[in-house]
Amino acid sequence: MEKTYLLPHRFKKMGWILLGLGLVLGIAMRFFGIDSDYFGRIPFLGIVTENFLTSNKHFFEIAENGFLDELVAVLIILGGVLVGFCKTKIEDEFILQMRLSSLVWSVYVNYGVLFLAVLFVFDMPFFDVMVLNMSTVLLFFIIRFHILLHKANRM
Amino acid sequence: MKNTIKVQRAIKDVTQAQLADIIGVSRQTISAIEKNKYVPSTVLALKLARYFEVAVEKIFELTEVD
Repeated sequence: MEKTYLLPHRFKKMGWILLGLGLVLGIAMRFFGIDSDYFGRIPFLGIVTENFLTSNKHFFEIAENGFLDELVAVLIILGGVLVGFCKTKIEDEFILQMRLSSLVWSVYVNYGVLFLAVLFVFDMPFFDVMVLNMSTVLLFFIIRFHILLHKANRM
Repeated sequence: MKNTIKVQRAIKDVTQAQLADIIGVSRQTISAIEKNKYVPSTVLALKLARYFEVAVEKIFELTEVD
């Protein structure tokens, strides 16, 4: 069979845990007013940072930063990629086809939403859309693929 | 394309799950092929034919729409 670039099945459970944790924390931040300093601030190496007031760019500077937002993004990216791209127990040609169609579907939906947002949403709300859009392509894919798997399971 | 896998399974007296296991695919795949929701690859078709000990054409047949 052709190379599929998929990851081993054994990492999938870990993916669900990371993704679940990331989503819970992400929702807590967005809807329950928990900000990025909630668990404290730690030093980061910023390859590029910008002074908010002067718009001066700084390169390779150590800066303190509340790490909750970074943690959420890392958990969602790692968890989402693991859940989305770990093989199913028996990853055969029919399942690969469902995987491909889900991926195409989710890219369409994701960029459909972004397309509308570009035209009809502005300023800070648009920034919010972009932030969410970072993870929605993975989330749409995971949801769509698992719905198809579930349907196939019940056939 | 239509197929006679269900009949062939009955002759051999194997369940979808058993057949899937023998051929090395998921049960969903066998089920989807039987329901004409999925057209298998040539390799998979040949494996099925080998297991049922019949020619591929005895299992799969083209229909008007193909």
